[in-house]
Parts: sequence; structure tokens; C-alpha cells
Amino acid sequence: MKLNLTIQPRFRLNFSPLVWILLTLMGIAFVVAMIRYIYGIGAISDLSYSYPWGFWISFDLFTGVVISSGGFLMAGTVYILGIKEFQPLLRPSVLTAFLGYIMVTIALLVDLGHPERIWYMMIHWNGTSVLLEIGICVMSYLTVLAIEFAPVVLERFPALHKIAHLIHKFIMPFVILGVVLSTLHQSSLGSLLLIQPAKLHPLWWTPILPIMFFNSAISVGLAMIILESSLSSRYFQRGLETHLLEKLAKAIPVVLGIYLILKFGELAYAGDLGYLFTSGGFSILFWAEILIGIVTPLIWFSIKKNRQSANGLLTGAIILLVGMILNRFNVSWFGVVHPDPMFYMPTFMSNVKYIPTLPEVSISLGIFAAGILAFGLAAKYFPVFDEEHAHATGD
Amino acid sequence: MTEIKHHAYLFDATRCIDCRACMVACSVENNIEMDKTRIWVSGVGIKGEYPDLQRGTMVYHCMHCNHPDCMSACPVGAYTKAEDGPVTYDPDLCIGCRYCMNACPFGVPHFDYDKGIIDGAFIDKCTFCPQRIYNGQEPACVQTCPTDALEYGDRDELLKKAHARIASRPDHYIDHVYGENENGGTSYLIISHIPFSELGLPNLPETPVNEVSEKVMEMTIPFALGWGAVLSGVAAGVNLYNKKKEKAESTAKVEEVK
Repeated sequence: MKLNLTIQPRFRLNFSPLVWILLTLMGIAFVVAMIRYIYGIGAISDLSYSYPWGFWISFDLFTGVVISSGGFLMAGTVYILGIKEFQPLLRPSVLTAFLGYIMVTIALLVDLGHPERIWYMMIHWNGTSVLLEIGICVMSYLTVLAIEFAPVVLERFPALHKIAHLIHKFIMPFVILGVVLSTLHQSSLGSLLLIQPAKLHPLWWTPILPIMFFNSAISVGLAMIILESSLSSRYFQRGLETHLLEKLAKAIPVVLGIYLILKFGELAYAGDLGYLFTSGGFSILFWAEILIGIVTPLIWFSIKKNRQSANGLLTGAIILLVGMILNRFNVSWFGVVHPDPMFYMPTFMSNVKYIPTLPEVSISLGIFAAGILAFGLAAKYFPVFDEEHAHATGD
Repeated sequence: MTEIKHHAYLFDATRCIDCRACMVACSVENNIEMDKTRIWVSGVGIKGEYPDLQRGTMVYHCMHCNHPDCMSACPVGAYTKAEDGPVTYDPDLCIGCRYCMNACPFGVPHFDYDKGIIDGAFIDKCTFCPQRIYNGQEPACVQTCPTDALEYGDRDELLKKAHARIASRPDHYIDHVYGENENGGTSYLIISHIPFSELGLPNLPETPVNEVSEKVMEMTIPFALGWGAVLSGVAAGVNLYNKKKEKAESTAKVEEVK
């Protein structure tokens, strides 16, 4: 058996300043994480009894999961709907999702009080807990993504082509499972907040939070595919699949339009329209999220000229992502009203203001840097962007 | 003492003198540091307008809800609700996700932010002193209370007592027992002379806050199965359609060649 181990780099990726910056961020995060494991979460973060969840949950969990939704969208489009022309976008999307979920898991290992017990979720089940469902789904989906991405790695070695072919032959059940698991946990991240009707501001708390979350996962996933294709085409100096991205961009206004109707319909139905202008900071945050994340990209992608130019696509995707990430922060952090500090006099309740500390943010930055580096390395050594290899996973 | 079917506390805010003996008693009984005590007393200051001034004190404590939100939220089932009242926590199962802290509308569970993974960081909350109540004694905080602001007994008896006390001094008390119906009923009942919101208690409906999330969870498995079936159907249909189309195209080609 002869393995072809002399791997020729496909794209330029030298130790550029960018790589050094990424490595530095990862190093800082590693040191901070060690401090956290030895001295406790309080040693590096501003989390408190009133704010048990903070920046890590909003950024690494809520944002991390939603920006990884491109994987299931593309897998579903190519395999289930059988639209094979999107094949070139499949592999980068699955890779982004795979790395995204690994990043989410690593962040949770820092955030959990007992990281060594994360597997308890597999054996101790409490059926009423939304968090259990998310845990199970994320663990299973990570496995599915590994299977979906495996052929890309295996193809690199001619001796292993047979295994890649075998996986491809039986890929369909995994794709369907992946889409079901994604639907469940993307929407369940919204359900996670359903238990806080007394804490989450009525502008965001609604029984249809899971539907809102699933809808926004679709628009964010499409925007992420546009973003990652645009950036990688610039960085790796390869062609951009503008004709495919244009089709994705065409779907975005439809998804956003449904979101807008659901959101304001629900507010009107619940009689919460009054809060739109009377809740001070909450109203401002809400309008910022709606205008940046929904209205602007809805108009932007409705214009044909924007959809057809590389810059137009990238700009629209970035605007949408900024607004939608703000939405995730609003729902999981900014919009959550915690008990009034004046009533909690003892020391353990007095620390009621929450401002994420620098070490806290550095953990997230380090994990993010590792994700970017891993994407770069994978794109360099594996046929992620190669259309000519598409036959092994495609038709 | 009469037989207790459902253990409960009754707190009378008019009687509390802010001495904080219950906090000391709790930390001594349970051998925990003072700043991590499971009960905490807070003077809420002077309320009202001169000359109708009133001072109030609130004793915060696990409410031992009838439908506990911490228990509903915990992914690994570290919480249990005993049939006779107490809500307890099992540190051996806890993964430290702190979802219970988010879920609890009263902000009761607290977490060891100052402990690393070697010491083990856990959630802590009131246990209802099982070592005492199942041996015929009152919980430590109740036994130590010098003014009987905290009382312990059967929930129904305490409710009767609370309503009787309100009826005997209607000008003094607010005609409401907090916890009788709030959040689906709690085992820590509160009567007061100043509005409950001023004591820092959330204004909760009679349905427990976990109601919607539990309903959504009930729909999860049927939805997953249905959605999986729909997707499989679509995939099979598309596959069949594509194959037919290919076949038709290839036969058309063959005929063209002929």
C-alpha cells in the first residue's frame, strides 16, 4: 500500500502577519483558560449570581451555532432537494459548520463549571430541559458533520478513496439526520429563553422564539456562505461563484420578509407593540436589530445590481450578519432583565452589573482565531474548493 | 406537632427585625461560609411618604416551588422535587451549566465562581434542612428566628394561618399571600405590609414560568420524526424524478443517434 503523503500546498499560506496574530490570540486564550481551570470562572470573568451567562454564551454559543448553519442548508439543498449545481459551495459550508461546532464545544468546555462531565448529558436525561436537547443535538450533529466532511480528507490519500466512496454511497441518511438535528437545535436555542418570561423583555420573549430562531438561522446561513466564499476567493485568489451566490442572495429577502411578518405579527397579537417606543434602551436595541439585520438586507438583496456584483454580495451579507448577531446578543444578554440590584444586598448578590472582562473576551477571540487558522489549513491541504474532485462526494 | 404532608415556610415581613440570625443559623447548620449562606436578609429601606413611613425587610430563600423551574431547566436532572415539598440539588450530577440560575425567577441557585476544577465548582441552594425536618425539628433558620417572622409547618395549615392573620388586621396587611398561586404555587409563603414588588419579588403569573418551554419540549420528538419523514420523502421523490429524467434523456439521445 502506497500512501501519497507528500502533500503539495494548493494555496499560498505562509507565516504571514495574519497567522502570527492568530497564533498569539490562541496562546493568550490558552493561558487564560488555564487560569480559569485552576482558580475558577470568577478569576477571569465578570459572571455573577445575577449574570450566570454572559459573553461566552452570547458569542460562542448563540452566535457560533447560528453562523454555522450554512452546512445543513447546503447539504439539504444539494442532496435532499437534488440541486447539484450548488455542489461547489457544499464543501466550504460543511467545513465552516464542522469547525464552528468544534469552536462552540471548546467554548462550552471553558464555560461549564464541570467540563469533565460534559458527557453526562449522554446518560442523564431530563426530558423537560431544552438545554439537554441542544446538547444531544450538537453532539450528534458534530458526528454527522465529521462523516459529511470525512470524504474530503480521505480523498487526499488515494489508498483511502474506497472508504470515501463508501461514505458517499450511504451519505443520504446522514444528510437527513443532519438537517433534522440542525432544525431542532437551531430553533431550540430560541426555546432556551422560553423559561425566562419574567426576565426577558417582551420585545423578544415570545412563544414562537424557536420559529424566529430557525428562520434567522436560514438567512444567517445564506449570508455566511456568501461571506466565506467572498473572503476565501479574495484570500486564496480563486474564482468566485457569483452566479450561485446570486441565487442564494435571491432567497434572502423572502426569508427576511417572513421574519418581519412573524415578528411584528406576534408583537401585535401579544399586544406588545407599545414597547416599541417606550422601553428606552431596549427599544433602541430592538430597532437597531430590525433595521440592520432585517430591513436593510431585505432592501439590499432585492436590488438586482447588488446581487450580481461581488462587492454588493459581500456588503449585504456583512450588514445582515451584524444585525442578526446583535439579535442573538439581545435575546441572550442585553434584553434579559435581572433582579433589581438594590434588593440583593449580601456580597454574593451585589455584583449585579455585568461587563465582560478582557480575559473573558480573549478566550472567545482565541477560539475564533483557531477556527480561522484551521479553515485556512484545511483549505490549503484538502480539496475543499476543488470542483474537479466533486465527483467523490457529488454525483 | 401535627403531621406535615407538605413542608412549607411562612414569612411575615411585618415581624422581621433584620437581625440576620437566620443567616448565621443557616451557615452554621450547613457548614457553609457566611457570604454563601442559602438564606439572605435584606432591608429594603424606608418606604412611603412622610408621615406614612414604613420600613420593610425581606428574607430571601429558596421558594421550593411546586413546579420548580430549576428542575425543569437542568439538562442532567440534578434537581428533584420531593412529594412533600423540598426541592433538592445533587452535586454529583451537576455539569455546571448554570441554566438553573437563569431559569429561576427568584435568582436562588448560586454558583462557586471562586473554585477551579480541582476544588469543584457547584451550585448551592436551600435544602430545606432534611436532616432536621425528617427528625421532627424545624429548619435551622426557622428555629432561630426570635420574632417568629419565619414559621414552618404544613403548607395548607400555614396558608390558613396566613389568611387568618391578614383577616385579623386588614388595615395592616396586604390582602394577599405571595406564593399561594405565584409560579404555580410555592412552599415559601410571604405576607407583608408593603407591596411585594417593593420587597423585590417578581410579579409572576399563576402558571409556572417553565410552562411554555415544557410544552415545546413535548412537541420535539414528534416534530423530529415527522420532519425526518418529510425530508426522506422529498429526497426519495427528487431522486426518482431525476432518475426518470436521466433515463428519458438517455433514451432520447439513443433515438437521436439512431
